[in-house]
Amino acid sequence: MPDLTIAASVNGRRVSKSAKPHQRLLDFLRDNLNLTGSKEGCGAGECGSCSVFVDGVLIKSCLVPVAKAQGADIETVEGLARSGELSVLQKAFHKTGASQCGYCIPGMVMAATAAIRANPFVGNEEIKERLGGNICRCTGYQKIFEAVELARDVLNGRLAATALAEDEQEDGRFIGANVRRLDAPSKVSGALKYAGDMVMLGMLHMAVLRSPHAHARIVSIDASEAEAMPGVEGVITCADVPGEDGFGVYVHDQPIMARGKVRYVGEAVAAVAAQDEVTARRACASIKVHYEPLLAVFDPEAAMRPGAPVLHDYAPDNLTKHIPIRVGDVAQGFADSDLIVEESYSTQQVEHAYLEPEAGLAYVDHDGVVTIVSPSQNITHHRHMLSRIIARPINKVRFIMSPVGGGFGGKEDMIYQGMLALMAMKTRAPVRLVFTREESIIATAKRHPSRTTLKMGLSRGGRIRAVEMKMICDGGAYGLSTEGVVRKAAILAAGPYAVPNVKIDTYGVYTNNTPSGAFRSFGALQAQFATESHLDICAEQLGLDPFEIRRINAMRDGATSHTKQRLKSVSYLRALDVAEQASRWEKGAPTARGDVRGDLGGDGTRAPCALGARFDDGTTPKSQSEVA
Amino acid sequence: MARKRGRGVAGCWYGIARTATVDRAGAWAEIDDGGTAKIVTGVTEIGEGILTVLAQIAAEELGVRPQDVTIGDNDTARSPEAAHAGATRQTYMIGNAVAVACREARTKLVDVIAQHWDVDRELICTAAGEIWAEGTNHRMDMEAAVVLCKQRGVVPVGSGSFGTDTTGLDPVDGSGRPWQAYVFGCQVAEVEVDTLTGEVQVLGIWAAHDVGRAVNPRGVEAQIEGGIVQALGQGLMEDYRTQDGHTTTPNFAKYILPTSLDVPRVTSVIVEDPDPIGPLGVKGIGEPAMIPTIPAVMNAIYDAIGVRITALPATPERVLAAIQEKAARQPVAAE
Repeated sequence: MPDLTIAASVNGRRVSKSAKPHQRLLDFLRDNLNLTGSKEGCGAGECGSCSVFVDGVLIKSCLVPVAKAQGADIETVEGLARSGELSVLQKAFHKTGASQCGYCIPGMVMAATAAIRANPFVGNEEIKERLGGNICRCTGYQKIFEAVELARDVLNGRLAATALAEDEQEDGRFIGANVRRLDAPSKVSGALKYAGDMVMLGMLHMAVLRSPHAHARIVSIDASEAEAMPGVEGVITCADVPGEDGFGVYVHDQPIMARGKVRYVGEAVAAVAAQDEVTARRACASIKVHYEPLLAVFDPEAAMRPGAPVLHDYAPDNLTKHIPIRVGDVAQGFADSDLIVEESYSTQQVEHAYLEPEAGLAYVDHDGVVTIVSPSQNITHHRHMLSRIIARPINKVRFIMSPVGGGFGGKEDMIYQGMLALMAMKTRAPVRLVFTREESIIATAKRHPSRTTLKMGLSRGGRIRAVEMKMICDGGAYGLSTEGVVRKAAILAAGPYAVPNVKIDTYGVYTNNTPSGAFRSFGALQAQFATESHLDICAEQLGLDPFEIRRINAMRDGATSHTKQRLKSVSYLRALDVAEQASRWEKGAPTARGDVRGDLGGDGTRAPCALGARFDDGTTPKSQSEVA
Repeated sequence: MARKRGRGVAGCWYGIARTATVDRAGAWAEIDDGGTAKIVTGVTEIGEGILTVLAQIAAEELGVRPQDVTIGDNDTARSPEAAHAGATRQTYMIGNAVAVACREARTKLVDVIAQHWDVDRELICTAAGEIWAEGTNHRMDMEAAVVLCKQRGVVPVGSGSFGTDTTGLDPVDGSGRPWQAYVFGCQVAEVEVDTLTGEVQVLGIWAAHDVGRAVNPRGVEAQIEGGIVQALGQGLMEDYRTQDGHTTTPNFAKYILPTSLDVPRVTSVIVEDPDPIGPLGVKGIGEPAMIPTIPAVMNAIYDAIGVRITALPATPERVLAAIQEKAARQPVAAE
């Protein structure tokens, strides 16, 4: 198909630019007009990061073929602050701290702008509805709602513009002050460049061929067709690794690209760099890999049994790590208990779902320094590992952090930076890789799914005598952060409680599932989900208020932890008191007494959603309670 | 009635900075021309607001304003090691390292100015771009102080390093000092459960968290709110699934995330129990914020409908199945 010439108005200026017919409006804005404020989060209209106005209507530009933009009036986030001054809404986002990583924020700002344009007195419930197509993974939305309400009221005259100003600190004491985020203007305006927004002269585009098998031996890789394709500048496989291949946060068990066998679906096998992304993907698809499927194991308990398929030679029992914690004698503790409660708990695999998919740019600089720009959470460690992998001195390897569009632990792993480095070394050109959302989901680490059995013994008065816990975490195909996750889970498993007898065992296990890795709260979440659920079960049986059972057992200042560490200051009792007061908690044993509670529905709760009830006709201002 | 409400509580604790290994961070500081400041450290802003936190710390320690501070962040060839963005460590490790670096830079400047005014250096104060000697008429702005300093051949620079006194765990009984700072927290959840559909809505969360010392209270709230909603996602809807290793949830149409319509009202209460070891008293909040949410919500579901969810997530299907199972066990109690 021949190229198109798109003539449109963009942010009030006439543009006429050539475009490929397969491009989406989002590509046209980002690649052809260099308006990178509109972000790609999912490419499927699910996340809203690419929201723009077309002829005044809020749309998701990843769903619009570029041809549809012909003659249209387009407004992007860059258009909102055209004068150089942030819009009222952008200032409100700055004031309330509504941006965190910032990647969803341009789209969020556009959706919120649409809400206020549609209804200058937009109600709080309608705001939620109108932002419903925009996902934010960092903020929990509350500060965003606050920003939209503030902007609405400044724009409709209920509040003076001074409401947008920063609170002054007159005494020069800035620790403890609500200083506005210094990076917010760059985020609310779309000015901040994430790795996927960056370009370099002569930059190549990389695509990755990934394993379709959960466990298979690689017999051969034939990339001759890809290499011969016009526009292709380089193909790499594990054979291009000059040094000692292997990365991971604790054990370096993962090769840059599959070596000899693949261990999970989505594992990188080869990569292609080409002059454009489409050619890179086509070339990737032409690589012929001959696999010999192997027996795979998907259940961690099955993987622990003798005779299970083995993933890594160094771990014939598929065990990544076992962490034991022992205090006192649990058998005696249970013998001394009046109540023993046993229960099993399980948690699922969870995706980090940061809005910015993985992206990076690599080049070899004028001094021969292999340089990688990426939104990594741990470039210090990456530098160490990569220097060994590419066999270069550590000062010839340089990692530069690009703005991180959300991490939550998911960007601690050096899952693609090694490929970028190898390709830059091979092609002697800058190389960029941007993951698709699907690629990000299949190839990168998840939160460890866990299976826990917990046995707790207590005195009649509610004092915990013994805790015995066994937790099995599925670490998936590679070690990544598994060792640390099971360690942290074990240390914190018995909770902030003084327990004289403790027996905890946590296990990280290899399977052929998508690897598990670091995820915000790192094993502690899984373990304390079990312990804190369990305490309520025990409290019900003992007729104790849930705060009370926690207070009876709470560690105090000077307590000795389950790893026999003496803690100086323990603020747990204070936290319990404060939460109880703030929530106006009505005391009582947790006997499913929801029906008769007197503390429900007060300050600090929202109205429940009732479908279709939130939009009014847009003419009358309403308070939240009226809308509810 | 099809919709039932309930409340639940859960506590948490968490260790600050890297686990069972020595953690460390370094930083450089310079009081720069114009009375501005430059901080260089291998910090990684992942959205939590650490750059602003460090600017606040530097501003207060040096006596400038946060907007005067420029932060040179993570570049392994240009900035001192401050290690990774994770383990709820950046405010604690890098914040303290920046404070140490700033104190050294400030000392260099203060020494020159004290000599210039011929006053005891203990009398010198700096704040928000001004420098003065307590109990005297001596006062100038930071810009002039830097000029004077440089005229005397001194560039007011400093470096800081902050490390932890921690150990690994014993391989047999797990004993050791995995962290030097601990935080504690507690959350209460209020839910509404639709007993016809099994849908759970979280209407309110009250969250009390010890953060040591809150550098930016609004930023702390933002971490708590974001952590709670992420936990709510895991508690109620998020579920990455595979079939023989192939994902069946490859995109956001299948992998369901919390949206603006799913989130509770969050009331955060910050508890400040300063860390007795580090120079600033700060600890952290990023990860612990999400730990109590799930058990608090599950305890609240139990309070509402007498059903205990032990396998996450508590999807409508799973809650409904549990309700039906309970009804089958106790046919009389069924409504």
